[in-house]
Amino acid sequence: MFDTILFIFAALAAIVGGILTISVKNLMHACVFLLLTLLGVAGLYLTLGADFVGVIQLVVYVGGVVVLMVFAVMLTSGSNAQKVNRFGMVKIPTMGNFRTYTLAGIFAALILMSIIKLYRNVFSMARLEKLPEYYPTVSKIGHSLVSTHVLAFEISSVLLLGALVGAAIISRPKREMR
Amino acid sequence: MNQTVVSYLLQFEPIKKLVLSLSNLLGFNAISIVSFLIFLIVILIVVGFLATVGGLGTYAERKISADMQARIGPNRVGPYGILQFLADGAKMLLKEDIIPTQSDKFLFYVAPMLCIVGVFGTIAVIPFSSGFTILNFNVGLVYLIGISSLVGLGVFLGGYGSNSKWSMLGGMRGASQIISYEIPVVLSSLSIVLLSGGLSFSALIGAQGGWPHEWFIFHNPFTFIGFFILFIGSLAETNRAPFDLPEAESELVSGYHTEFSGMRFGFFALAEYIEVFVVCGLATALFLGGYNVPMHLGGDGLIGQVLQVGSFVSKTFLLYYIVIVTRWTLPRLRVDQLMTMCWKYLIPIAMFNLIMVGLWMWLFDGRSLFTLLFKSASVASGAGH
Amino acid sequence: MGFYSYLVVSTILFVLGIVAVLARKNIIAILLGLELILNASALNFVTYTRFVNNNIDGHIFALFIIIVAAAEAAVGLAIVLRFFQIRETIHVDDATQLQG
Repeated sequence: MFDTILFIFAALAAIVGGILTISVKNLMHACVFLLLTLLGVAGLYLTLGADFVGVIQLVVYVGGVVVLMVFAVMLTSGSNAQKVNRFGMVKIPTMGNFRTYTLAGIFAALILMSIIKLYRNVFSMARLEKLPEYYPTVSKIGHSLVSTHVLAFEISSVLLLGALVGAAIISRPKREMR
Repeated sequence: MNQTVVSYLLQFEPIKKLVLSLSNLLGFNAISIVSFLIFLIVILIVVGFLATVGGLGTYAERKISADMQARIGPNRVGPYGILQFLADGAKMLLKEDIIPTQSDKFLFYVAPMLCIVGVFGTIAVIPFSSGFTILNFNVGLVYLIGISSLVGLGVFLGGYGSNSKWSMLGGMRGASQIISYEIPVVLSSLSIVLLSGGLSFSALIGAQGGWPHEWFIFHNPFTFIGFFILFIGSLAETNRAPFDLPEAESELVSGYHTEFSGMRFGFFALAEYIEVFVVCGLATALFLGGYNVPMHLGGDGLIGQVLQVGSFVSKTFLLYYIVIVTRWTLPRLRVDQLMTMCWKYLIPIAMFNLIMVGLWMWLFDGRSLFTLLFKSASVASGAGH
Repeated sequence: MGFYSYLVVSTILFVLGIVAVLARKNIIAILLGLELILNASALNFVTYTRFVNNNIDGHIFALFIIIVAAAEAAVGLAIVLRFFQIRETIHVDDATQLQG
């Protein structure tokens, strides 16, 4: 019974956070609701028995990505952009209006139909009848990362190095040529 | 597997009889209701304990600072002024809740909540004793680090939402300080994880012993340095002096919590003092042997558990005292000195520690310095036979 | 709670993320929608691990999705900051320098 209650809490947090992220007008509030969504997804991971992935989601997303987004919102606010573009047409407001949401909704409905079509294969897959007990996944993940998936592990470390150096260089303030 | 306080308490006969009688009464297996009730009661006890520790922390700080500055400190409310924190709490509850009109009201509501959730979420894994840990999560260390990073977000949103220059500066400094100093803290914890072979607090503490020479701080010279890096990083994580630039009283008019009044400010202050307790508990669990008592006094029964709680709490309070004394001794660091110290000094030293601890594990099979020096000497001199 | 419940949650998150990417005109708001999409797909992988074949590769893939999402958020936001430094705006419709 408690499994169901925990799943409902986490799923509600994720979905309500998602709906509010895409609909609020203030960008900082949208970041806070993204935080709620990420916490909900971390809770869903924990109910699925993915303990290591859940806490890594907590550390990386909550402690890293959301803080990054919030800093970026703060640094790029206060823009005095014009309301009309160079052809003289009024620009669509930055957080979307009714027309953009309608068009996005139609396109999303199309994608939803194709996803449901994909799910037909998934539902006919063979599934485990008896779910395994929750087991600690850390040692299995560790063994797998250095034996089976060592190439992806090493490439991801190079990727993170590249992201670190690239982000630092791209956002460096422009030094004036004298 | 995860072991909780419920699974510990279920070893005792009275609890088992209670579960059986409730099951017969209700018709279905009452274990879930009993475990929910036990969790609720234990969590309320721990939350009450931590809130009292937070309040008494303010009192202890004022008394210790008064002692160091040759004054007396609070001595009117209650015997020796010990109820001062209750008076402060009552004052904060009764204050008018002022929200500036140009501020962001949603962020005003959310920022103190984030700080409190980030701190109180960690109590699920704090290892008070081998039986009374609420949840012995098998990735407990990473969970604690992840939940504590909510505090940095709360600091920044509090500063940003106040829509005032001083708060904005304090919030930015606070958030950048917290996210920068997470790195040396995590690297030092990782070197301990290498030594003990597990991420759960029971594995980290079980690899240490009761006597000081069995603690991880004296295991090898690299963990000795690692303890100080963890301690300095934890001071910066909790915005305590000499790293309290975000709330610098003489510069930023109280920084990111300038505009908060009443209980909202109370949340920020309470979160800070409880977080000091939590990070001192973390340092105790990782480096000072946690809840181990020398010679396993009391065994596994209730007496042993109480002794273990006493051992953990006394070591944590010792570190708390050192944190308070440090605040009133050292001057405040400038923000660029702060960042330089983290990125140019602490992080390279912490990375070097991690690599060297790994090398030590490979060379000496993970034995501590004392084992190598004294045990091998005794074997060589024939005392082992 | 059930295989289908988790799939429904991840599909809803995915669709919400797509709506955010298409409907918003602010670059950072689009990146928020992108994070929703990545989380939905990682949730799918972990669901399959638990309910279908108990192979740890699902968790590994979810870990790599998290890693790649963090790296991409960092670089993406650096690019947004640069764009703001040059153009003083973060409206997507102002990024038209290559337009004919």
